[in-house]
Amino acid sequence: MWAIEAEGLKKSYPKRIPLPFRRVEWVEALKDVSFRVKRGELFGLLGPNGAGKTTTIKILTTLLEPSGGTARVLGFDIREDAREIRKRINLVAEGERTLYWRLSAYENLKYFARIYYVPREEERKRIETLLKLVGLWGRRNDLVMNFSRGMKQRLAIAKALINDPEVLFLDEPTLGLDVQSAVFVREFVRKLVEEERKTILLTTHYMAEAEELCDRIAIIDHGKIIALDTPEGLKRLVRGEETVEIRARDIRPEKILEAPFRMAIVGDDPSTGIAKIRAQVDEEDLPKLVEWLVKAGAKVLSVERKEPTLEDVFIKLTGRGLRD
Amino acid sequence: MIGAVIEKEFRMFFRYPLRVISSILVGIVFLLQFVYFGQAVLGGRYSTLLEASTGMGDYPTYALIGYVLWWVSVSPMEAYVWGVRRELQRGTFETNVLSPSRLISLLFGLALSWLLMDSLLMGIVFAVGGLIFDIPITGSFILKSLPVIVASLAAFLGFGFIFAGLVMLLKNIGPFAQIFEFAMLFFAGVFFPLSVMPPWIRSLSNLFPLTHSAAIVRNLFAGGTYLQVADHILWLLVLVPLYWTVGYLIFRWAERTTRVIGYGGY
Repeated sequence: MWAIEAEGLKKSYPKRIPLPFRRVEWVEALKDVSFRVKRGELFGLLGPNGAGKTTTIKILTTLLEPSGGTARVLGFDIREDAREIRKRINLVAEGERTLYWRLSAYENLKYFARIYYVPREEERKRIETLLKLVGLWGRRNDLVMNFSRGMKQRLAIAKALINDPEVLFLDEPTLGLDVQSAVFVREFVRKLVEEERKTILLTTHYMAEAEELCDRIAIIDHGKIIALDTPEGLKRLVRGEETVEIRARDIRPEKILEAPFRMAIVGDDPSTGIAKIRAQVDEEDLPKLVEWLVKAGAKVLSVERKEPTLEDVFIKLTGRGLRD
Repeated sequence: MIGAVIEKEFRMFFRYPLRVISSILVGIVFLLQFVYFGQAVLGGRYSTLLEASTGMGDYPTYALIGYVLWWVSVSPMEAYVWGVRRELQRGTFETNVLSPSRLISLLFGLALSWLLMDSLLMGIVFAVGGLIFDIPITGSFILKSLPVIVASLAAFLGFGFIFAGLVMLLKNIGPFAQIFEFAMLFFAGVFFPLSVMPPWIRSLSNLFPLTHSAAIVRNLFAGGTYLQVADHILWLLVLVPLYWTVGYLIFRWAERTTRVIGYGGY
């Protein structure tokens, strides 16, 4: 049995609140999203901001009603069996404000244990285990408002495990975290799959994170899944093509979007004004690309051949970078 | 599960003693203002005019009963409007929705906890008001009033679901709710008798459970019986199921619509 099955999911949001007798316009956020996640799999949804990742997660966690299509989680229909699904899943939502800051770490977990109907005789033990697991047992009586962002995220993960969910949804779990906390979260997530056999659906716009963690990745853009495979399988899409990384100054992003080559800005350093561009070009076209950049006003500092990454896959599929 | 919501809300509120003290002080200051203003207008503490129209001539007692009941009555609405809004702002609302607990039960727990907290605070204000204005409050009067107060608050708990639904949908309806709360202060005879109002307002005031609970409690304080206020009791018995039905239906509609547009936040 599949843990998650999504078939032709569509979602439109009204521009205004749809009150009776009020005509409203609708904006399409998801056009056609279909995928399946195996039990015990760590599945990634990779895409830029606004691609539809969070909408997909909200539909699968029963927080949002889809406009079309169907989805089942652990065999339960998201429209008909929302309560059954909610008993068996949990979510680490984007952002740090999903906890009660005026309660302590322990009080937060106790509250969520109660609304998830965790048996009273198990409650204490489970909270203790989870707080120890995320390294917060020593701070259990401290108010969450005094926690760092990384600690809040660790507590949010503990909260999401309070009902021992079979499927865990993680929406941008490392967004805004310092390097150390992000590493902790990634290692913890991997451990949940390998040791606890949890099924995880993770959204991210960090390619390295998706590549490092996920068994399979679906790339989503403009509300559609445009590719789905293992990280290696996805990278095979760009194998055989020359991938180059160019470091240059004075690059104008709007010019890059108009470029007659498959290329995208993948990083920049505002302090030096140096930007990194990745491009897929044949060897004979490389001088033309450099010439084009110079004509566009950029000062090219270096050109290097690189191993393809998921960013290159995204550039190949969409003609843009994940950050554009 | 409702107990968990109450425990959480109590912890967050009573963790800050200054907040508790300031709430009590605000309650007392408003009461003093209204009572002294009323006495200034009436030309003294006792009014024969007031007694003729309400059966209670002592203005501080009249105002204290109405004021405390009003404050506690609006607390479910405050909980639904400001409590839910705060959850939306915190980002904790969706976390609660995601749990297998029914949303309506979670919100009922929220309203009940605010109502209990306000009852505690207003109990103190009532006692302080009694001391300041030398009002003889007896245990038997309180016991006799309790069923009426509970019925009135039950009506408001149901009525408040309208606001719970609207706040999920429209997010920022605080100002609208406040207009409603203050309108009730006028139209339920809290600080002055309804007999001074035009007949249509008097008819409209029947729709507020507070109108009836205040009239019943004042009558009991003046030594009257339940029989003397049977019409008000009947109104309350009609309003409790009516407001629960209307509140529940509107809430369910708002909940369904919110699942289409998203619970979102701020």
